[in-house]
Amino acid sequence: MPTVIIDGRELRLSEGERLNGIEAARRVGIEIPHYCWHPGLSVVGSCRMCLVEVGARDPKTGKVTMQPKLAPACNTIVADGMVLVTESEKVALARARVEEGLLLRHPIDCPICDKAGECRLQDYHFQHGQDQRRADIRPFTSRRRDIGDITLFVDRCIMCSRCVRFVNEISGTGELMVVNRGAHEEIDVAPGYPLHNKLSGNVVDLCPVGALADKDFLYRQRVWFLRNHKSVCTRCATGCSIWIDENQDRIYRVRPRENPHVNRWWICNEGRYGHSYVHDPRRLTSPVRRTAAGRAPVDWSEVIDEAPKRFQAARRPAGVISPFLTVEEAFLLCRLLHKWHGQVVLAVGPVPSTDADETFPGGFVISAEKCPNRRGVEAVVSHFAGGVIGWEEFLARAARSEFDAVWITAGYPLPWIDAEQASKPAGVETLVVQDLFPSPLSDRADFELPGAAWAEREGSYVNRNHWLQTARWTIRPPAGVRTEGSLFWELLGREGLYRAQAVLEEAAVEIAYFSPARGPVPEEGVQLTPPTADEPSAAPLSRGPTAIRR
Amino acid sequence: MKPDDPSISWVEPPELGLAGKSYLPLFVQGLTTTVRHLFSPKKTVEYPEQDHEIPDPIIYRGVHRLNRDEQGRVKCVACFLCATACPAHCIDIVAAESPWPDREKYPQTFTIDELRCIFCGMCEEACPVDAIELTSLYNLSGKSREEMIFDKEKLLSIYDQTCQAEPSRTQRSDS
Amino acid sequence: MIALMIETLVKFAVVVGGLMTAAAYLVLLERWIAAWVQDRRGPNRVGVPLTNIKLFGLGQPLADGVKFIFKADVTPRHVDRVLYWLAPAVVMAAALCAFAVIPFGSVLPDFLPADWGVEEPIRLTVVPALDVAVLFVFAVGGAAVFGVLLGGWASNNKYSFLGSLRSSAQLISYELPLGLGILGVAAAAGSLHFNEIIARQADSGWWNIFVQPLGFVVFIVAAFAEASRLPFDLSEAEQELVGGYHTEYSGVKLMMLLVGEYLHMITAAFLIVIFFLGGWHFWGLTDGVDSPGGDVVAWPAALARVAVLMAKVLLVILFFMLTRWSWPRFRYDQLMNLAWKVMLPWGVLNIVVVAAAIEFAGRWAAAWGISPAAATALAGWVALALAVVLTAWADPTTADNRPLRIPPALRGSSDET
Repeated sequence: MPTVIIDGRELRLSEGERLNGIEAARRVGIEIPHYCWHPGLSVVGSCRMCLVEVGARDPKTGKVTMQPKLAPACNTIVADGMVLVTESEKVALARARVEEGLLLRHPIDCPICDKAGECRLQDYHFQHGQDQRRADIRPFTSRRRDIGDITLFVDRCIMCSRCVRFVNEISGTGELMVVNRGAHEEIDVAPGYPLHNKLSGNVVDLCPVGALADKDFLYRQRVWFLRNHKSVCTRCATGCSIWIDENQDRIYRVRPRENPHVNRWWICNEGRYGHSYVHDPRRLTSPVRRTAAGRAPVDWSEVIDEAPKRFQAARRPAGVISPFLTVEEAFLLCRLLHKWHGQVVLAVGPVPSTDADETFPGGFVISAEKCPNRRGVEAVVSHFAGGVIGWEEFLARAARSEFDAVWITAGYPLPWIDAEQASKPAGVETLVVQDLFPSPLSDRADFELPGAAWAEREGSYVNRNHWLQTARWTIRPPAGVRTEGSLFWELLGREGLYRAQAVLEEAAVEIAYFSPARGPVPEEGVQLTPPTADEPSAAPLSRGPTAIRR
Repeated sequence: MKPDDPSISWVEPPELGLAGKSYLPLFVQGLTTTVRHLFSPKKTVEYPEQDHEIPDPIIYRGVHRLNRDEQGRVKCVACFLCATACPAHCIDIVAAESPWPDREKYPQTFTIDELRCIFCGMCEEACPVDAIELTSLYNLSGKSREEMIFDKEKLLSIYDQTCQAEPSRTQRSDS
Repeated sequence: MIALMIETLVKFAVVVGGLMTAAAYLVLLERWIAAWVQDRRGPNRVGVPLTNIKLFGLGQPLADGVKFIFKADVTPRHVDRVLYWLAPAVVMAAALCAFAVIPFGSVLPDFLPADWGVEEPIRLTVVPALDVAVLFVFAVGGAAVFGVLLGGWASNNKYSFLGSLRSSAQLISYELPLGLGILGVAAAAGSLHFNEIIARQADSGWWNIFVQPLGFVVFIVAAFAEASRLPFDLSEAEQELVGGYHTEYSGVKLMMLLVGEYLHMITAAFLIVIFFLGGWHFWGLTDGVDSPGGDVVAWPAALARVAVLMAKVLLVILFFMLTRWSWPRFRYDQLMNLAWKVMLPWGVLNIVVVAAAIEFAGRWAAAWGISPAAATALAGWVALALAVVLTAWADPTTADNRPLRIPPALRGSSDET
């Protein structure tokens, strides 16, 4: 078993494991500072921040011989008997010199830089830098350049080239490049070819300093005011792990959260910038009831009193479970409708989709299916109804006046139904529509209920590869809105507050498909077993080892 | 921590002596102090009739102002450091891209809730460009809560009122 | 009979009206003194309403009273309503009742026509004929504890309840030294009648403070504690504790509780003056026609007796107020130690000395060649000095409240056991 010694601590590697110095040190709890190295990108070793002392131990005598020069840890693949020293005086001096060099022409406009607070340059300067500048030739403000999707602050850049490598290796679009030489090096795009691709937002997260700034987030908040919440993206069936950064119940940005099983380090721009609908002023904020006198806002208690009576008295009720609902909410709703009426017909709501999945050279996939939880909802519905009825079939049956009470859940971020489809459910005496925005369908509803957006909900999503991830609520819904989970929980007459964990436990016991999700679900999620072979699961995300190029 | 923790050093109370234990000397001492102060000159400033004397208006912590630069523009760069430092959370800034070529960021709105403010001066300490300063104006009053929420224009007008008597810190260091 | 009723009602009106006004203006005085002691000016703004005339703030008590009356009088939902309303009434009634027997002067010369049927000379006491006036005051003062307990209990609030426990324990503890202090005076006067006590002091010219200094110290300390004045205001301790038994009270009821406490202070001042400071007596100013303490007086002496009494009471009240800013509050254990370990033995010693002096003063006087009163006084001062020195030596009140520590030398062995 290969053994490496890092700062006197022994690390045993499994056979065939390829780690560089930074990863190996991280295993024993030592953080080696670095700018240019990123686990998802190739190694260039250009920033020189990760310089460490490297040596070897003679396996026979046990004598340690150190190399006279420092070596970059990112480009040093650890091998048996290797000795790394990360905290010596020599290393500290090297780091201080690198910091000094990087700050030589840096504008140090931290007060107006959006990266301040999560900036590597700041952090490392505090940890490794010198307290005094020996030269002061910095410009006072950073030159600003619009390079497409992203704003570039030219002088803040430390030339780590992460962004250039990203557009070459991951998105495969290659818009960014380094122009000029030496001290005049700058990041730029070729004239007429701005940075514009579906993954371009990731370069902002990659940038270790404040050179690349998000246009969507620019100057809106200081990062130390934001609270970060772990969540799951719901804009397509990939179900990327994300951070939602929020302040006082307002989402300011969405960032990728590292998850080797789903999205690795990346998310697409649609997920990153597609959160504004949460704060759309057009959202429904109060239950509305339609009576002979017209439509009027009512209190939730009226809905909670009236809806069960209507459905229990119905001849043939039906429910439409939106693929935007979480597993828990779908489970509670199915259970609720089933409890009200044993003959209830359950259908899955429309599944929005584009033509085809988009796969990027780095292995990242944007699914064609633009909903987060079709598989989870289908599993729940088929458990309660014995099979899955699609939206088209439901509409056809509704048009034949088969149903007299219908509960439709939606929650789509984009308009999802046109007037023609909305006119189809005929002869329905009680139509309950739970949605985010007014639609032709909700205009016809007897009960128009405001629904919660994804960041306000709590529950689990099953992605295209049957990978289940759990997300907690991150912001509170607007005043007047009740989350689906809490409404169904109360309608079922359960005690206390809605507890997604308890519902998932229940579903995992009852439905074999969810059985791996028993107990607390890990942050990264769990793999569920695909139910049958009739629906081939999408190809798993390709996970090649990090290429090391010279 | 246990009482016999070796890191605690116990201070023994001073030995009182017989006179001290009889309470008499301290009894007399207390009464004489009180009586002496009963007749000593009073320190009260009778405010509306008399004005408070401010020894050094530069270090006094009264109403805030937002300083202007040489071109009369708001000096603030909307870095939020004052809002970060503020222990009372009374500063609210909305930042935006500045309309001027030589500046990156400026405050679109800048409001201070003077009722919430505790006049600690941390905002002035935190400001990297000496844009927010506390003046020596202390007689601050208003008829409604809304009136006491000062916006950017109001804060700049306080600068216009006070810039002659109290030059800003950068102006002081220039001279 | 009718004349007696009218006479009593007039005196009653004078006493109650005078007390209420006095309480109001004493609050102003207290605030002034508090301010002056702290180098401030105190309330000096409120004068004649609706004008700009300030009158040194003399309108302040009126403004305070109006404010108290018009404040929201909250009765919390969780209280015991009957007791909650009863408590301020009990406190107020007990405080006022005491003044039924306390003289606010001596007597007036005969001046009414004889056919009015008023028994003359008119005594300046609401109920002058009560022979056990001292006991009455003592009993009524004890009833004030009920108000405190009721207030705390009825509020149904743990802070109020703890406050009332604190107060009542203090009041009950200090009733013993209070009683012992009075006992010496009553024994020396041979009467429980206030007029008699004052007359004896006036006749001899030796106020009890000169004859029984130990009794005076015991009584004044106990009186401070009974009136809940600093340094014994543990019942409120506004700087460090939640209110006290009146935490849940507001508006007029709170005012009644506070005024009741203030009246206690006035009562205490009157008692101190009457028992120990010669009451209305001042040498040469207040002499009666046949004897210095006699009931037959001319107008100047009669008025001088009222003035002297009031002046003495005011001085004692000033002392009360100055004391408030002179010494820090006692800790609760110190308070109890002082009551039981210092004041109680001192009171007993005082009784012994007074009793011995009554029995043997004549013989001592003969042996030392001084007057019997001087001999009694000498014995009293010797007793006081003895008591102070012995107490300082024995030091019964100091308590080391710090956690128990094991000396380092013993620590090793204690670990093994």
